[in-house]
Amino acid sequence: MSLVLRTRALEKRFGPLVALHPLDLELAAGSALAVLGPNGAGKSTLLRLFAGLARPSAGSIEIHPEGGSRSFRRRSVGLVGHASFLTPTLTTRENLVLAARLFGVEAPGEAAARALAAEELLPVAERRAGALSRGLAQRAAIARALLHDPKLVLLDEPWTGLDARAAARLSQRLAAEKGAGRALVIVTHDLGRVVGLAERALLLVRGRAAWLEAAAVRDTATLEAAASAAVARMESAR
Amino acid sequence: MTNEELSRNSSLLRSSTIGLGVCALLWAWFVWRAPIDSMQGPIQKILYVHVPCVLGAYLGFALTAASGALYLWRRDERWDRLAAACAEVGVFFCTLVLLTGPIWAKGTWGRWWTWDLRLTLTLLLYLVYVSYLLLRSFTEGSERAARFGAVYAIAGLAVVPLNYFAIDLAGGRTVHPENLGRGSLGAGMGLPLALGMLTAVMAFAYLLVRRLEVSELRAALDRAQADAARSEM
Amino acid sequence: MNALLAVLWKDLVSEWRSRDRLVAMGVFALLVVVVLYLAAPPGAGPEARAHVPGLLWVAYLFAGVLGLNRAFATELENEALSLLALAPVERGFIFLGKALASFALLLVVEAATAVAFALAFDLDLWPVAGRLALVAALGAAGLCSLGTLFSAIAVRTQYREVMLPLLLLPLLVPVLLGAVRATNALLLEGTLPWPALQLLLVTDGVFGIVSFLTFEVVLDE
Repeated sequence: MSLVLRTRALEKRFGPLVALHPLDLELAAGSALAVLGPNGAGKSTLLRLFAGLARPSAGSIEIHPEGGSRSFRRRSVGLVGHASFLTPTLTTRENLVLAARLFGVEAPGEAAARALAAEELLPVAERRAGALSRGLAQRAAIARALLHDPKLVLLDEPWTGLDARAAARLSQRLAAEKGAGRALVIVTHDLGRVVGLAERALLLVRGRAAWLEAAAVRDTATLEAAASAAVARMESAR
Repeated sequence: MTNEELSRNSSLLRSSTIGLGVCALLWAWFVWRAPIDSMQGPIQKILYVHVPCVLGAYLGFALTAASGALYLWRRDERWDRLAAACAEVGVFFCTLVLLTGPIWAKGTWGRWWTWDLRLTLTLLLYLVYVSYLLLRSFTEGSERAARFGAVYAIAGLAVVPLNYFAIDLAGGRTVHPENLGRGSLGAGMGLPLALGMLTAVMAFAYLLVRRLEVSELRAALDRAQADAARSEM
Repeated sequence: MNALLAVLWKDLVSEWRSRDRLVAMGVFALLVVVVLYLAAPPGAGPEARAHVPGLLWVAYLFAGVLGLNRAFATELENEALSLLALAPVERGFIFLGKALASFALLLVVEAATAVAFALAFDLDLWPVAGRLALVAALGAAGLCSLGTLFSAIAVRTQYREVMLPLLLLPLLVPVLLGAVRATNALLLEGTLPWPALQLLLVTDGVFGIVSFLTFEVVLDE
């Protein structure tokens, strides 16, 4: 089983504020990690560090740990953020072609077509991205993130704003991608959704991380209890 | 701040204060004793302030750009604090240049301002300084401000030689006295001028040390506040 | 290289569909020409007309800054800027794509403005049209290179519309002086002075290199 992501003493400071205390982490292919925690804990910062959008203040991140320069690192990562990253004046298809070309995917037109089909977006392929509903935009964002066959997929609260059917679809898609060997990191408040998907959970409270035991991720109730207990423990340990 | 940091800072402050004091006294003495220029009269003595301030202004900007570049390379906050401090000290000197220059100009050429090469160049430098400081204060997030500031300072420094040639091209080599090369100064003027340059460097260093002290204190305060806020929750 | 073309294509297609930047720049430049004429109608003699080329570049500068302000503003919607930052390429190429798009738009506006200018100030630009286009292009290149860099910076500060001209104008002096000198010589004497061209070329080169290299850190969070 190969490692997709490894961090050593990864730290992020914004001036005097420590957004992320030194973190060691390893993630294998075909596994999924849930990242939980209250708002403002640094979860989005963590994802952005993994994605290469922000630089660490200290420590290291290795993706697909054969090392390589940063441009190779970004090649192996797909990010689904809070926003869709779509250009509103371009159509869905054009947005995907753009992403394909930006990420160096061969035959961008065909790759985009495949991605559209995989997320069942062909009916809206020629619609301007600005006119897509939240659910459709999210699916387009997922299609975009997976377009370049990334080994590591990062998702920031992906189930927010989706109706039950779309949310179930997403869970299925993620399970399939995991099965295909990708590593997933999912930031979420939706404990119920992530329970069937992740083997491990990391709790972040004000930049400090605590691992939840593997058994806790078995079902929603256990996970909630474990998470609350851990949060309480961390808050009181000052 | 640790004890060793504190003691290092105060010894640095002590030595720069002493250095400045000595230089300033020597300089003032020699300026007082310097001969009065036959053509320009006593107002020529303002040049003993003006020219050293020019050194401070341009030195300041070069240091700001260099520190910014080092920050981008090393990502150590201390380089950024140095860059910000150099910019503030440098803009102070630049202001002095733009104040003493016109005073001297009015006394000798009869005009407050002319668009000749050096005045224009320095005015542009001043504008770049001000834009740099505004950029830093209007950017949210100290890390982003540091990065953006560094990029701007580097671009600003690259423009200085370009501006020189540009203004020269536009015919700016008119009224300003030619470079104070060997022999173009009257007798007895070289020493006070040289001392003035040295004093300017000392003054720059002194102000820089004090300014850095302030920013280090502020950083320590921010850290303490952040810790306190967190433990309160 | 692919990324450069992708970004260039994106900007041009977006612009073609909405045409808002082009129209805004064009109308604004036209207004500036009218205002300049009303504020400073040229006299009859050659000395009085010596300032006229400078006015043309004032119009170009204003139009350019207006267009550049919009260059990154649209990227903020849906955080499309993050997509560009995520691309696994040397970020200087993203910069080039964006700068070239602004450059293309500005060239179009410059051409239209030159025509309006010639009409308003009663100039005959035909004999020097080719060389004037060269000078206009060199000036636009300098403007768009630093302008794109600073637009990316300004868009993430407060007072972003004011920030861009504040940052840009003091640094554009070499471009402005070189371009005005060259345009002056073209219109009044019909010659293209080499020193002015040289200044423009060197400046464009320096600006291009600085912008290309520093864009890497500008696109970070």
